[in-house]
Amino acid sequence: MRTNAPAPEAPSTRNLKSASASQRQPLSITIGRYSALILWVGFTVLFGILRPDTFLTSVTWRLTISEGVVTAVVALAFLIPLVAGVYDLSVGATMGTGLVLMNWVGINHPGVPLWLAALGVLLACAFVGLCSSIIIVRFRVDSLIATLGVSQVLLAFQLFMSENRQMTGAFDDGWLDLGTRQVMGVPIVALYLLVLALLLWFVLEHTPVGRHLRAVGSNPEAARLAGLGVERLITGSLMCSAMVGGLAGIIFSMKVGTYSSSIGPGLLFPALAAVFFGASQFARRPNVWGTLIAYFALAFGVKGLQLTFGPGTFWIQPLFQGATLLIAVAMASRVVGQTRRSRRLQKDAEQGTATPTGS
Amino acid sequence: MNALDIRGLSKTFSGHVVLHGVDLTVRRGEVHALVGQNGSGKSTLIKVLAGYHAPDAGATAQVLGRELTLGSAAAADRLNIRFVHQDLGLANDLTLTENIMLGRRYPRRAGIAIDWPKARRIAHECISRTGPAIDVNRTVAEFGIAERTRIAIARALPDNDDPALIVLDEPTAALPAQDVEKLFDTIRGLTAAGNAVLLVSHHLDEILGVSDTVTVLRDGARVATVPTAEVDKHSLTELIIGRALSRDVERAPRAVDDSRPIATIEGLSGTSLLDIDIDLRPGEIVGIAGLTGSGREEVAALVTGRTHRDGGTVRIGSRSVPSGDPRAALAAGMAWIVGERARYAVFPAMDLRSNITIGDVGRHQRGGRLRHHDERAEARDWIHELGIVASGTDADIATLSGGNQQKALVARALRLKPAVLVLDDPTAGIDIGARQQVHGIIAGRADESMAVLITSTDSEELARLCDRVLVLARGRVVAELARGVDLDAATIDHTQVSGVPA
Ligand SMILES: Nc1ncnc2c1ncn2[C@@H]1O[C@H](COP(=O)(O)OP(=O)(O)OP(=O)(O)O)[C@@H](O)[C@H]1O
Ligand SMILES: [Mg+2]
Repeated sequence: MRTNAPAPEAPSTRNLKSASASQRQPLSITIGRYSALILWVGFTVLFGILRPDTFLTSVTWRLTISEGVVTAVVALAFLIPLVAGVYDLSVGATMGTGLVLMNWVGINHPGVPLWLAALGVLLACAFVGLCSSIIIVRFRVDSLIATLGVSQVLLAFQLFMSENRQMTGAFDDGWLDLGTRQVMGVPIVALYLLVLALLLWFVLEHTPVGRHLRAVGSNPEAARLAGLGVERLITGSLMCSAMVGGLAGIIFSMKVGTYSSSIGPGLLFPALAAVFFGASQFARRPNVWGTLIAYFALAFGVKGLQLTFGPGTFWIQPLFQGATLLIAVAMASRVVGQTRRSRRLQKDAEQGTATPTGS
Repeated sequence: MNALDIRGLSKTFSGHVVLHGVDLTVRRGEVHALVGQNGSGKSTLIKVLAGYHAPDAGATAQVLGRELTLGSAAAADRLNIRFVHQDLGLANDLTLTENIMLGRRYPRRAGIAIDWPKARRIAHECISRTGPAIDVNRTVAEFGIAERTRIAIARALPDNDDPALIVLDEPTAALPAQDVEKLFDTIRGLTAAGNAVLLVSHHLDEILGVSDTVTVLRDGARVATVPTAEVDKHSLTELIIGRALSRDVERAPRAVDDSRPIATIEGLSGTSLLDIDIDLRPGEIVGIAGLTGSGREEVAALVTGRTHRDGGTVRIGSRSVPSGDPRAALAAGMAWIVGERARYAVFPAMDLRSNITIGDVGRHQRGGRLRHHDERAEARDWIHELGIVASGTDADIATLSGGNQQKALVARALRLKPAVLVLDDPTAGIDIGARQQVHGIIAGRADESMAVLITSTDSEELARLCDRVLVLARGRVVAELARGVDLDAATIDHTQVSGVPA
């Protein structure tokens, strides 16, 4: 027989005290967490006053939203592996690849049903994701470099398939209708985006897989020691990311149809900006709704500026997106608040006690 | 004039008062110990001093009579307050000289090329201020943990000859007794040269051995500052936890047990571990002792699969656990608390409940959906059972004090109800009251026939908990001490130093 050490009284009072402590946070941080939403409202008010006749019309809203859907899908593609701490810079190129493949099938094999082509595109993209993950996981190449390389290979593939020309006229009206129709006044592509976002949100926030991905992103070594299949999770996230990238290409083929080699790479920056800005929102980590709200806040800002200053202002978009990203992320980061506060304290102290006391 | 005078220091995190009008006076040339339970605010006080957190309004501080702006890292640095963090923050691949020079300006020849001979001389001077000279050309990875601690201190020392205040937050949490002695020689050398040292530790014997004055924090308030000579272990414990510690109940010797082992480890070998065999029977607690370099520090990593074995087999029941595969080890019924918490175990930026449930969140899943409510309920049970101090189940793990993070790891391992539990310094950073509680829980689980393998730098811990202790030296088992026969802390210490059975 052995005896245990008696269980000491649980320090329940201490727990109660801390548990009852309110969860209040400094106002600046709270505002920072909702800055994208505030920005969106702010733009609506501002441009609503400046250009009430054009900005506040439902046409403008519909247009801005449907124009943004493809980029927002690319942003979600980037988000998935980012949760696990893996950068997939090939999402733009995957989108382009999906688009070129759809066009190629549409032009060269008009007999093949387009839904079948779309399925094939998704499978091909999954394979691309698998290749990236092998490079990253097996050969231990840094994900930034690996996916940067993969994106160039994909670009080469696109140029080869398209013979470096624009591709148009591949799709029938039935297919294009799937991308341009409206359902109860809402562009149908917005609904596609919504369904995808709901699905990803559910998986990332409400399933064990999502939790495991976050753990890998937080501390890969600890994740391995906690028994998670780190390599499998990374592989899976990259395959999903590539498939969502391909899906963006498919949606683009429904909406616009035309392929040109500049389309995919051009989406990368706005997509990344949305994800990083979005990661400073809400729970302050990469998240689905933050990404979407950040993206559309910026998109509406750009739209408002274009409407206000006219069509000569094509340079506004990158300037605006770059600047907003920098400001928003810097505002939300804790470091800024910290240094500001300590600088202020220091100043106070220097003014208050100019002469050293004591001897 | 004192080395440090803090008056009325308060710190509130989101409405939660962590420090409550604390006064602290460190005199020149003294070793001042700061003690208190987990979450009592020691690290927070130090982080305010270091400028990492800004204090609430109303706090003042002076260093040698000069005003110090709390919450400013630059101000602390200017006034020669230097910090050595628990993970030491050394670059292991660089040489000692390069590490010392990291925080300094390299001497130059003609303003361009680095003057290496001079840099080495500076490094040599710095390291000499902390004890006997060591080779400044070797890389840090080649040194043991004791020397590395010295290098970190040497790097922190200011260049000028003004007296400095050196702050050490739990420098001995994972240091074996011999290395602790060396560290204390260094500390005494520093104070003899006119510097002051502020030291945080949960090891009361060490506090009593090295410090001149002790300040006790409880729930963020200072409850006492007393000369060390006026307290003993018993009264200090009472000051810390506010009541007398219930007496440890000794484990009784195990009856002779010839049941089949649940786990057999044969020929286990690694870098410094040569060839050891360990059998674990259900309900048995087996300890592994040994100085740094004896191979002790490798055992847990090799058994759990954190690192690949150079040889040997690990079996649990009839299942063989492959080398370097923690997933397979878990599946075979093993669970563990690994050492080096921050590096191998904690998921920063994730909440407390995820950190507890990570090994098996699937338990709270129904129909593919995670039941956050169930998960929070389980986390609350653990918070209650282990007395984890946190603002709630969804508090970011990084806002928990070190000891409370460690308790979360205890919960993470125990909830898996393993057949074999492997512990590597399981109570590192856990306060004296909670340590007893964790020991009680581990012993209780062993009584429910879990087998436990503990490697620890704390001989008292091994002597109190284990049924058997294997003492390692130079990679081999040199002695096996059994409860009720020859197992006690003094024998463990003696055997691991001499390398032969007593
Ligand atoms: N950034 C933070 N945000 C909110 N609460 C915090 C933060 N940092 C610390 N705390 C809380 O402050 C309290 C004191 O923590 P601190 O780290 O100072 O304890 P400690 O005395 O060092 O304990 P230990 O011995 O376990 O290291 C804890 O309850 C902790 O949860
Ligand atoms: Mg601490």
